[in-house]
Amino acid sequence: MSDFKIKSGFAQMLKGGVIMDVVNAEQAKIAEQAGACAVMALERIPADMRKSGQVCRMSDPKMIKEIMESVSIPVMAKVRIGHFVEAQILEALEVDCIDESEVLTPADWTHHIDKLQFKTLFVCGAKDLSEALRRINEGAAMIRTKGEAGTGDVSEAVKHINTICNQIKDLKANNLSADQLKAKADEFRVPVELLQKVIDDGRLPVVNFAAGGVATPADAALLMQLGCDGVFVGSGIFKSSNPPKLARAIVEATTHYNDPAKLLEVSRDLGDLMGGVSIESINRATDASKGVRLSEIGW
Amino acid sequence: MTYIGVLALQGAFIEHIERLQECIKEYDNYDLDEDINIISVRTPEELEKCKALIIPGGESTSMSLIAQRTGFLPFLRDFVNDSSKAIWGTCAGLIFLSETVQGDGGGSGGSPLTAFDPTSRSNLVEPLNLVKVRVKRNAFGRQAQSFTKICDFSSFIPNCTDFPATFIRAPVIEEIIDADRVKTLYTLPNPSSATGELIVAAKQDDNVLVTAFHPELAENDIRFHDYFIREYVLKNL
Repeated sequence: MSDFKIKSGFAQMLKGGVIMDVVNAEQAKIAEQAGACAVMALERIPADMRKSGQVCRMSDPKMIKEIMESVSIPVMAKVRIGHFVEAQILEALEVDCIDESEVLTPADWTHHIDKLQFKTLFVCGAKDLSEALRRINEGAAMIRTKGEAGTGDVSEAVKHINTICNQIKDLKANNLSADQLKAKADEFRVPVELLQKVIDDGRLPVVNFAAGGVATPADAALLMQLGCDGVFVGSGIFKSSNPPKLARAIVEATTHYNDPAKLLEVSRDLGDLMGGVSIESINRATDASKGVRLSEIGW
Repeated sequence: MTYIGVLALQGAFIEHIERLQECIKEYDNYDLDEDINIISVRTPEELEKCKALIIPGGESTSMSLIAQRTGFLPFLRDFVNDSSKAIWGTCAGLIFLSETVQGDGGGSGGSPLTAFDPTSRSNLVEPLNLVKVRVKRNAFGRQAQSFTKICDFSSFIPNCTDFPATFIRAPVIEEIIDADRVKTLYTLPNPSSATGELIVAAKQDDNVLVTAFHPELAENDIRFHDYFIREYVLKNL
């Protein structure tokens, strides 16, 4: 179990911080200088993937390596859901954390990666408690709420963090009998012990960041006040007119998330923010003509 | 009321707060008349209340940059350099408290323990210049080289022979600059030199403790936090 401690401990050190999507070494340095606690190296930010309509895969290891060499903070990179060979490659590259991500095109529509087989820690997306617990049971040492990547619309991220928090609260309040607990665990497809631990602690057993649609300092502070441990910012920063300034402002808002005077200060004069697409304009998976909600990928 | 603060700009500050609270409960407020109160510290006003401060693990660049930009850094520097305060830095906290920071294992090539790149990005961290040591960031390498080791700390914590010390992208103390003030508490063998040792825990004077590892991650184990309270906080009250 000490192996898991090293993985989950790494995620604990990221708390209260901002992890930024970057596509090259120059952006990685901007993120580091803004105070990001880690960067996510990828070839295209989600907003551009969303537009492309193409198959999105693991980024070129050469580009990830360049980013690893350009900054001193941890570097994460994404693999397709279920693509354990992409994960083996990133482990060989020694990225600090692997994101098994619904933002990329899934490689396996049935199985997620068996993450316990890896020494590298994984972060996985979830939109509710059962999904989060299935990922943790597969070995994920960190969870991020999915939100809706590449939109600049924070409402899905809000929905997902609220869903997880409320589900935990309800389970705690309901005082389930042993039979009910077993039934709930079966419904979630996770071991009873894992569910029991969540009920006892009143929280997920691993760090939980918010992601998907964060575009402003206020968005970051909102998600922190709703109970997440830190924030991923994808397209929001580098789709704005002044990325260094916005990046710094989001970092400070994440630290001082409960201090309206500080939030006022950092929210001023940030230039043009990401235009984005509203969630309502993106159809559900049943009608893909206007694009698909990425949060519906994964199960 | 006696306040022990935990710096909460970024990182694993809640873990420290929980361990300290467990200590106070276990040892019944250490038989003090005044309650010991544990608070998170983000502002000069919160800092001003404190008798002691822990700087937690996290990213040292994040913490330092946030402190610089919000104007908090001068207050922190004054506080930690006040010899009547008890101070403890873990991992990033050690880096932040040190006099000099050099190198980093950001590049995974070469041997991080010997390679030193003077153009590295460590200048992003503006250290608090308290502990008279030179520190190397990410000295063991990347997360792939993180580890937990059961350590015998009984030379400075009575009977503590089996403490699980977790090192996460950890720094080491490469050199003690002022040997009169800084005493080594614990070393690991240096894999890249037959004779050398890596200093991973040290104390300066009677009020400053630094550790390269994370005692706050040891579950149900408050021995290290109890040591800090007894030997640093209470002795300096």
